[in-house]
Amino acid sequence: MRQRTTFFHRDEDAIQPSSIKVKGRSISGPDITAVREDRFTLGLDELPSDLKELLTNISELHLRWASPARYDTLGPWTSRLPPGLHVFYTPQHDDATGPRDPICAFLRGFMPQENCTDSLDHFSQLPYDRFSHATAYQSYYPSRSISAFAEYASQYLCSASDDGCKTRMRALDQAKSFDFSYDTISHVVKVTVLWGHQKQPLDITSHSDHRVEVGLLVPDSTGAIEDHELGVAGLLTILGEDSNPSPVLFSFPARHKSAGATFSAEFLSPLGLHPTMQLQVDSSEPPMKDSFCSLHAYFTLPNTIFADKYQLDDPLFLASKNLTALRYISQPIDLEAPSYVMKLWGSSLLLELKPPAEDEAVAFTAEVPLHLRYQVPQDGGEESVTTPYPAVFWACAAEEGTKFPNSPFDRVNIGYDGLFGPRTLFWHLDPAPQEGVKDLMLTDSVPVLDLGQALLISPLTAAVVVAGFAWVVWKLVAVFMKSGYGAQQSPGREVKKTQ
Amino acid sequence: MANIISAFFSYPLLVFGSAFLLRAILLVYGLWQDANSPLKYTDIDYMVFTDAARLTFNSPARSPYARETYRYTPLLAWLLYPTTLPAPGAAGVFWFSFGKVLFAAADLAAGWLLVRVLRRHGPPAARTEAAALRYASIWLLNPMVATISTRGSSEGLLGVLVTALLYAVLERRVTLAAALLGLGVHFKIYPFIYAPAIVWWMDGERMGRQFAAGTSLLRRFLTPERLRLAIVSLATFLGLNIAMYALYGREFLQHTFLHHVTRIDHRHNFSPYNVLLYLTSAEPYVTAQSGEAGAWGTEFLGLRIESVAFVPQLLLSCVLIPLVGAKKDLATTMLAQTFAFVTFNKVCTSQYFLWYMVFLPLYLPSSSLLRRPGLGVSALALWVATQGLWLQQGYNLEFLGQSTFMPGLFYASLAFFLVNCWILGIIIGDLQGSPEADVSTGAPKSVGQSKTAAK
Repeated sequence: MRQRTTFFHRDEDAIQPSSIKVKGRSISGPDITAVREDRFTLGLDELPSDLKELLTNISELHLRWASPARYDTLGPWTSRLPPGLHVFYTPQHDDATGPRDPICAFLRGFMPQENCTDSLDHFSQLPYDRFSHATAYQSYYPSRSISAFAEYASQYLCSASDDGCKTRMRALDQAKSFDFSYDTISHVVKVTVLWGHQKQPLDITSHSDHRVEVGLLVPDSTGAIEDHELGVAGLLTILGEDSNPSPVLFSFPARHKSAGATFSAEFLSPLGLHPTMQLQVDSSEPPMKDSFCSLHAYFTLPNTIFADKYQLDDPLFLASKNLTALRYISQPIDLEAPSYVMKLWGSSLLLELKPPAEDEAVAFTAEVPLHLRYQVPQDGGEESVTTPYPAVFWACAAEEGTKFPNSPFDRVNIGYDGLFGPRTLFWHLDPAPQEGVKDLMLTDSVPVLDLGQALLISPLTAAVVVAGFAWVVWKLVAVFMKSGYGAQQSPGREVKKTQ
Repeated sequence: MANIISAFFSYPLLVFGSAFLLRAILLVYGLWQDANSPLKYTDIDYMVFTDAARLTFNSPARSPYARETYRYTPLLAWLLYPTTLPAPGAAGVFWFSFGKVLFAAADLAAGWLLVRVLRRHGPPAARTEAAALRYASIWLLNPMVATISTRGSSEGLLGVLVTALLYAVLERRVTLAAALLGLGVHFKIYPFIYAPAIVWWMDGERMGRQFAAGTSLLRRFLTPERLRLAIVSLATFLGLNIAMYALYGREFLQHTFLHHVTRIDHRHNFSPYNVLLYLTSAEPYVTAQSGEAGAWGTEFLGLRIESVAFVPQLLLSCVLIPLVGAKKDLATTMLAQTFAFVTFNKVCTSQYFLWYMVFLPLYLPSSSLLRRPGLGVSALALWVATQGLWLQQGYNLEFLGQSTFMPGLFYASLAFFLVNCWILGIIIGDLQGSPEADVSTGAPKSVGQSKTAAK
């Protein structure tokens, strides 16, 4: 196992290099206000047997979890995802009709993926013709915590006696983002855990057979840094090898950057069955002046709510909502089915927003028309549905020849990146809910049939239909008794007879 | 004023000209609204049809079923081929609107057929040109009908098919009637209800046959005309289905027919079964949570209500109403059948109302709703009021997000259902009192006779 821990902090939060103590296989220092990233690289043999078994039978698996709690970030870790658990998956045999697929059995151990079964009908298929660097399948679950995963990790990744390891693994639950990546080409598992910008202890001890590298970095703009690059300076220590942190200064291509703007999302009131999600963006200014940039919102919507691609087809309608176009929507959607009969997790969509065409930066709103499915009836006639914030970002074309994979902090397979070309630069807007709100999941109550009043429905429907039917039959009988089934016993009839 | 009105109805050109103008204005207005407002005049269904046509003719899919929610015969997509013609500017808009023009033209054709039926087979009071035009105007100048067609809903095609069917039957054009019946059922399924009424109406005496005394009932029943009707209509229906199946395979069967059998129909609509269907469709998932199975009593005499709902519906519309009414007054019987079918259906939306509205001009001349204005106004008022009540509950649910399923929507749909049953009873009662509309010779009867008949 290899571990790389990186603290990224602002210039003003720097700590004295002399206050950092490197001793044997550990490093310590004063608390530091920074964002922390831990990246673990593991060989298959270092994994618990069930996980190893799963991974040897699949082609690619990427789990991406983002915390629903608002957090600040810095440096190379500015990429955002809708909060919740994202699953990107490529089975070994690329046919959904194949034998029992192992992925759901694995996921069910951690997440309540009720609708996930042996077949892949819980997943949506990603477009294989768009760009080749995406997985075959996607699913998403609006899960607020990865405590089940943290528990699993503490049980299987730590030796029974290593309490320190267990504590650290359980602390995963406090992380802001968690990535798990495996593909058959690299044959290694990469786990990346991100802790939001906060004051945290600097105290790391490495296990004797693990290679641990610790970095303390600050942004550096002294050199000639291009738009698609990030320059950093700081200290690097390889535990057990270095006796002192060594200073470093380098720059690397960064696929994800911060746009320096924020957005918030909320449903317009009243919600109704066709809720409108309003995105409030605080700046309409593109992050790059000399490149083509467009503002996008990427949604992962649980199957309680969906967008109608046909409604999002009309330019006038889109313009009235400050939208440019629907760039992608996962298929199929099923515009009619109620939530409770759906196997499919939901849908993902990419909308291009239309900022006002003004020279200076202005705040603006965009409205996304959505539709609710029917939910299971409940006592009280209300059900709560959870809709995650979208990820909002500017997508800009990077220069010819830019090679993002050369970055030590590169992050791929996050859903929307597969919908853009490989040389796209993403400038992320930070989700910033209204004052007092910390949650990046919108929870709303939607109307359902009130079970408390449901007892009457069946007998009353039957009684009324029978009564109506009886009345009509009675009228028919009355006509029949008077004139039979033949033509009317009227002078008209007689006229006919005489003809 | 009265003079102007009666003068207006004396000139077919004026009536049809007005009907045409009404639709032309609505069509052009619709184009303007579509081009200038994010709120569209054009019905969402029209986008479905035109997408389907485009996917059939201009895409590698080559099938209308590549469009989600296209649940119609491919014939409809074929009819709209011109909407796929690429043309710049105004010509493009014209071709794209071709379907609406077609549907509106179908309205006018249905109106013309209504006039023909009234003039040749209607109650005596409606046989003059002016009277026929006046009654036909209930359809021709009806703003609801004109709006639905120009918004691009295909119900107008059904209107012309069904009136043509009736006219062909009354004219004893058996083969034509059979072909129209087969086509109608292929197009929208529900016209199959007219088959028993037509068969029953088409007895030997009416078709000018003499039977020797002692001819068995079976031989009396199995007239050559009835056999021809059965064979030709079945052949048309099956022929079309086989052709479409050959072209589009299972998707055709699935979306045109099977979908209507398997759909859950849980979204709120006027049907009295609606809230019950929502409850029963969700029941397995409710009990999974609360653990008490069958607590909601969605069974009736041991049967699941939604699976026996077709019994009263088909018993009325396919057996009892045709049996009692067809020989008395075919047009009114078809109205009552359609009314019963829509009222007792498991799904009911306002476009279904058009299915029976097309028969109103044929029924109203001999109807007690017109003879007794108090009754007529009450029926209309109650029909509108209970519908309004439902719409208000529907609005509160759909746009304000209030849980109005129970009691609001539920009671409103039951009230609307009962009003519909009451009106259906009146229509059925009029079968007995209404004058014999069709005389084998087609000759008009004297006014005096009809008065006696209408006592």
